[in-house]
Amino acid sequence: MKVHPTDGGLAVDVDGVRKNYGRRIRALQGVSLHVAPGEIFGLLGPNGAGKSTLVKVLMTLVRADEARGSVLGHPVGSSAALEGIGYLPEHHRFPAFLTGRQAVEFSGAMSKVDRPTRKRRAAELLDRVGLGSWMDRKLGSYSKGMKQRAGLAAALVNDPKLVVLDEPTDGVDPVGRREIRDLLVEMRAEGRTVLLNSHLLSEVEGVCDRVGILVQGRLAAQGTIDELTASSRRYEIVIAGEAPVWCDAETRIERVPAGTLQGVGIAGAATRLMFLGLDAHGAQPLLDRLRAEGRTVVSVQTVRESLEDLFLRAVTDPSTGLILKPGAAR
Amino acid sequence: MTQTAAIFLSAYRELSARRLFWLALVINVLVVALFASLGINEQGISFLGWTFDSPFYNSTTTSPETFYKSLFVALGVDWWLGLIATLLALVTTCGIIPDLVAPGSIDLLLAKPIGRARLFLTKYATGLLFAALQVTVFSLASFAAIGLRGNVWEWGLFLAVPIVTFFYSLLYCICALVGMLTKSSVASLILTLLAWTVIFSVNLSESIVVAGRIANSLETVAIEKELTAGVTEDGSEPLEESDLETLRSDLQRAKDNRVDWDRAYFWFHGIKSFVPKTGDTLELLDRWLLASASMPTRDPDSERGPQRAFGPRRVKRGEYERALKEEERSRSIAWVLGTSAAFEAGILLLATVVFVRRDY
Repeated sequence: MKVHPTDGGLAVDVDGVRKNYGRRIRALQGVSLHVAPGEIFGLLGPNGAGKSTLVKVLMTLVRADEARGSVLGHPVGSSAALEGIGYLPEHHRFPAFLTGRQAVEFSGAMSKVDRPTRKRRAAELLDRVGLGSWMDRKLGSYSKGMKQRAGLAAALVNDPKLVVLDEPTDGVDPVGRREIRDLLVEMRAEGRTVLLNSHLLSEVEGVCDRVGILVQGRLAAQGTIDELTASSRRYEIVIAGEAPVWCDAETRIERVPAGTLQGVGIAGAATRLMFLGLDAHGAQPLLDRLRAEGRTVVSVQTVRESLEDLFLRAVTDPSTGLILKPGAAR
Repeated sequence: MTQTAAIFLSAYRELSARRLFWLALVINVLVVALFASLGINEQGISFLGWTFDSPFYNSTTTSPETFYKSLFVALGVDWWLGLIATLLALVTTCGIIPDLVAPGSIDLLLAKPIGRARLFLTKYATGLLFAALQVTVFSLASFAAIGLRGNVWEWGLFLAVPIVTFFYSLLYCICALVGMLTKSSVASLILTLLAWTVIFSVNLSESIVVAGRIANSLETVAIEKELTAGVTEDGSEPLEESDLETLRSDLQRAKDNRVDWDRAYFWFHGIKSFVPKTGDTLELLDRWLLASASMPTRDPDSERGPQRAFGPRRVKRGEYERALKEEERSRSIAWVLGTSAAFEAGILLLATVVFVRRDY
C-alpha cells in the first residue's frame, strides 16, 4: 500500500518545544525537530534526555509549555494530526482480556476506522507481524515479543502516514528484531514516515535515514549519519614498519599538506596513520612522500565515525571531556 | 460514535472476563428465585409449601401485587441492589479509572483522535455498565417472577434500572475521582466506602432529626388540644388543676424543644442538601411502585403510646407514621435527584479537569 505523504510539507515540523516539570526540571529546552515525509528518523539520546517527553508532546500525552509547528500539516496535538498517526508506546499495556484481533480492532475503532476496514486490516496486519495463528488468543497469553508485534499491528491499523515507535524491539528476540527492522523498511517503501525512538544504536544505524541526538533537553545534532559524521571522516594509511619521523609523538600535530594528522596507531608490524579532512586527491602527496621515503603502503581507506562514536561525542562535554550527566537539565 | 461503541464493547469484554461479574449475575437470579418462592394466602405468608400464619400480612390485608412489589423494593432493591450488589459492583469497577490512567494504557488511548474529557466521561460511563446490567437482569427476572406468581405484569419495576444506576453513579463518581487522584484501585474502593458511610450518616442523622421534629410537633398539638378541651383523654371527667399544670409544663417543654429541633433541622437539612441522597433516591422506587398499591395502613387514631425512639406518650402511632411519610414524600423528586445530580456533576467536573490537565 502506498501512502501519500503530506502536501509537500514536513511530516513533523516543530520548533521551540519547551517543557518544564516544576521549576527545577527542564525536560525540553526549545527543541526543533524536522522529519521529512517518507523517511525513517531515529531519535537518540541518553536516559532522561527528553526523548520520551518529546514523543509524548507530539502524541498529546504531555502538554508542552511552548511548541510551534505542525505534524502532518496540522497543529501539534490536534485531532486531525492524531488521525494520521500510528503510535506504539514503550511499555504499552494492552488489556490482557482482549485477543490480538480484538486489540487491533479496538485500536482501529479508536482511530475512527470503519468496521469492515478495521476487521480486514486487523487480520492482514496480524498475519504480517507473524501472529496469524495467534490472533484469536488472549493477549494475556502472549510473550513480550508477541505483544510488541501485536502493538505494531495496532499502530498500523489506521493506515497512518506517520508511525511513531518508542523502543519497538524492546523484549523482542534477535530474529524478531530483524523482522521488525524489515517491517520498518517496508513502511518506508510504502511511503510512511517513521519516527523511531530507540536506544539500540545498531538498530537505528541500520534503518534510519536521519537521526537526531537529544542531550539534556536540547537537540545536540540532527541530520543524516553521513552528514553528522562528515567532520570525523578520515583517511587511514597503513604502512609497513615504524612511523616516519614527521609523525612521531613529538610532532604528530604537524600540519601535512592537505589534512591534519589525527593519530598514529601500531597494528602489529605495521603502523596506522590517521588523517582528518583528506580526500583522495589530497592523499596523493602524502602517499608520494611515504613512497619517496621507501616505505611500503599496505592499505589506504576512508573511515568514518560509527553512530556509537558520534553518540558518545554528542553526549560528551567538550570542555571537560566527561560524559554529560544523564537526565534532564536542572 | 465508533469510539464510544468501541470503549463500551471493550468495557463489556473486561467485565465479562471477571468471575465476579458472573457470580453477581447468578446471585441476582437466586435472590429473585428466593422471593418468587414466597407467596401470600389467607392465612399468611407461604414459603415452598409451608405457611406461616400472620394476622397482619395475609391476602385479606395485602394483595399479592402489593406483597410482591414490597418484596421487590424492600428485599430486592433496598438490600440486594442498594447494598450487597453495590458493594460487588464497586469492587468490580473500582479499577477502571486507575487502569485507564496507568502508564502504558493511557498512552494508547490519548494518542487517538478523541478529546480527553470525552474519553474520561465515556470510561466513567462504562463503570456504570456493571450496575446497569446487574439491575436490568434483576428487574427482568423480578418482572417474570412477579408476573407468574402474582399475575401482575408491572412494567414499573423497570424504573429500578435508571434509579439504581443513578444511585450507583452517586458513589461511583467518588470512586472515579479518587482513582484519578491516587491511581490506586484499593484507595478508591476504601475511600468510596468511607464516603458512603459519611453520606449514610448524614442522611440518617437528618432522618432522625426530621422524625424528632415531627414527633415534637404532634405532641405540641396534642397537648394544646387536651388543654383546650379541659377533660381527660377519654373525655369522661374534667381535668384537675394539677393535671392542667402538668400539661402547661409539658407544653412549655415541647415548645422549648421545638427550638432545638428546628435548629438541628436547619443544619442537618442544610448539610444534606449538599450530599447525594442515596437513600431518598432508592425511596423513589417505593414512592412510585407502592404509592398507589393497597398497602395496609394503620388507623391514625389507633395505638397511642411510645412508638419508635421518638414517640412521645401523646402521639398516636398511626398519626406519627402518616406524618413521617408525608414529610418524606413532600420532598420533591427534583430536589432529591437535582441536588444529588449537582453533587455528582461537581465531582465529575473536578475529576475531568484533573484528567484533562495532567501530563502522562
